[in-house]
Amino acid sequence: MSVSVAERPAETEPARHLAWRGWLLDRAPFLVACLMLLVVVAIYGALQKGVFTLDEINLDTAAAMTLILAATGQTIVLIRGGIDLSIGGVISLGTVIAATQFSDDPLTVVMWSALILAIGFAVGALNGLLISALKLQPFLVTLASWSILNGIAMLILPTDGGGVPGWWIGFSYNQILGLASPVWMLIGLIIFWYWFRATRLGITIQATGSNEKSAFLSGVSIARINVVTYGLSGLFAAAAALYLTTQTGAGSPTIGKDYILPSVAAAVIGGVSLFGGRGHLLGTVIGALILTLIGNLVFVLRVSSYWQPVMSGVILLVAVLASSLAEKTARGQEQ
Amino acid sequence: MSSFLTRNRLILLAYLGMVVLLLVTALFSPGFLSESNLRSTLVLAAFVGIVALGQTFVIIGGGIDLSIPWVLNSAAILMTLLCAGQDLPLFWVAPLILVGGAAIGLINGVGVAIFGVPPIIMTLAANVILQGLILVYTGGSPTPSAPELIKFLSVGRLGPVPVILLIWAVLALVASLLLSKAAFGRHLYALGSSATVAEFSGVPTARTIILTYASSGLSAALAGMLLTGYSGQAYLGMGDSYLFTSIAAVAIGGASILGGSGHYLGSIAGALVLTILTGLLPALNLSSGALLVVYGAVILVTVSLGSETFASLWGLVFKNKKQKTEGD
Repeated sequence: MSVSVAERPAETEPARHLAWRGWLLDRAPFLVACLMLLVVVAIYGALQKGVFTLDEINLDTAAAMTLILAATGQTIVLIRGGIDLSIGGVISLGTVIAATQFSDDPLTVVMWSALILAIGFAVGALNGLLISALKLQPFLVTLASWSILNGIAMLILPTDGGGVPGWWIGFSYNQILGLASPVWMLIGLIIFWYWFRATRLGITIQATGSNEKSAFLSGVSIARINVVTYGLSGLFAAAAALYLTTQTGAGSPTIGKDYILPSVAAAVIGGVSLFGGRGHLLGTVIGALILTLIGNLVFVLRVSSYWQPVMSGVILLVAVLASSLAEKTARGQEQ
Repeated sequence: MSSFLTRNRLILLAYLGMVVLLLVTALFSPGFLSESNLRSTLVLAAFVGIVALGQTFVIIGGGIDLSIPWVLNSAAILMTLLCAGQDLPLFWVAPLILVGGAAIGLINGVGVAIFGVPPIIMTLAANVILQGLILVYTGGSPTPSAPELIKFLSVGRLGPVPVILLIWAVLALVASLLLSKAAFGRHLYALGSSATVAEFSGVPTARTIILTYASSGLSAALAGMLLTGYSGQAYLGMGDSYLFTSIAAVAIGGASILGGSGHYLGSIAGALVLTILTGLLPALNLSSGALLVVYGAVILVTVSLGSETFASLWGLVFKNKKQKTEGD
């Protein structure tokens, strides 16, 4: 893809054709994800009345938002070429702190929310520091911190419970211009992404994920990038925890593990590469929406809800096979 | 032998940690070192150890198997359904289920080796698909109790020795011979160190990868059947905790998650450490939350000890020995 200007052939017909194919192959995983979302929405819309309304969009976005937030952090880490399993622990811990500390006083809620976000960032930064300082594998470091954070959450609140104020639970029902607050959050998230990927930091993270050695040689501090990347992942996981409490109204010391692997799956379905360097938040959002809508699909198809994991597994495999096929074709073309 | 220990100082360390842990536990709870308690600890460790066997092969080869929970759970549920509490069907059911477990592993291996799917994604998909299919098949209802014969294999004894320990010992011997003496072991370490180099050196990489996942499916299925005998019945979610413990046992046993290093003898120590810790906490009156914190801390400490940063430190400690082996 990275043909320098000097080497680029003249824009003859076949060259333009190749460039167009290259563009398509580059985005094949994302396009496959879009296609799958279309199929899911089409089946859902055919079997259920009133799918194509603002209400439905509001409801589905509200349902998918926790996964979207968790997967946003995961996407940043995956683009860096790592993986973050600790988000499960951050989410559990976040909901537990919120459910035990929030009171009716808005100031208390704001202060504890800020603290939860700070804890999320700090835990992630610590992951990044351990990974760089001791040259440890992200998989094992974040597995260990998942265990530790989950344990702390269980020490704070052994079983599901606690509570948050009523106005906090009502968060996702607030509407502006007919769109519920989660939809506005999603719009904000996507705007954030287009800004973030063009910043110096965003570009450096992607470059480090593509090729760590060359990034290092061009003067990138790998340790700093790791601290920020995993810190952001922890921050988004904490945000997911806060959002989750608006949905469940309680804390759960075990709920976080339900988001660890789905967050990776959502990103991979959306075309984020597990090998680093490639991926876009739009893909991840589509992946998260597909995984969430499968639940609705199972309902309208009137089949056992146990088919839901089967469908998500098959979709995951289709997505990954499509991207591996596209990559092979693209590589064959370059040679 | 001395060169083996030098190369595998992390395994030695895991056993050392286990002994220290045993002594500490004995200090806090004098009954811990009793014959019956040690025996039940070993039996519990055997389940972790058997699951970790396949995971060890997969991780040495540079992969990871996340499909273990539901391969284990499916094996347990299908065995109780097909046997319906009777011993006789077990003679065809048990081989069938072991082959089934290996077949799931085979599919994982083909996905990873032939189609180039990342191991995390391939085995994660296999896990959720299997989970869904088993739930659809059983409708989530409870299954009949385990046959007596499988209960004998899990909790029975031959003289003072639990039967499952004999099974574990045989498996450990086979696994160690495969890793240390067989061509499979040489191929596996080569593959885990560098798949590209292995490929160009004539190692049958695809076959080796597929074999590791097949053996992981096989050992998870075996553990599932034996665990059913231990708890008396199969239940949904019985395999969930084994994903974490199998990876933790391999990591504590000194294997690198990147592949190319580690040994099943290390994973055995890892399984023992994890099980002793589980027994230690009730003795100290600690909750399951504290157990998770300790698990995480132990994994962090052991992987840190195995890191490059500590390697230079180890070089100083083991300097004399190393020079001797180099002189051999």
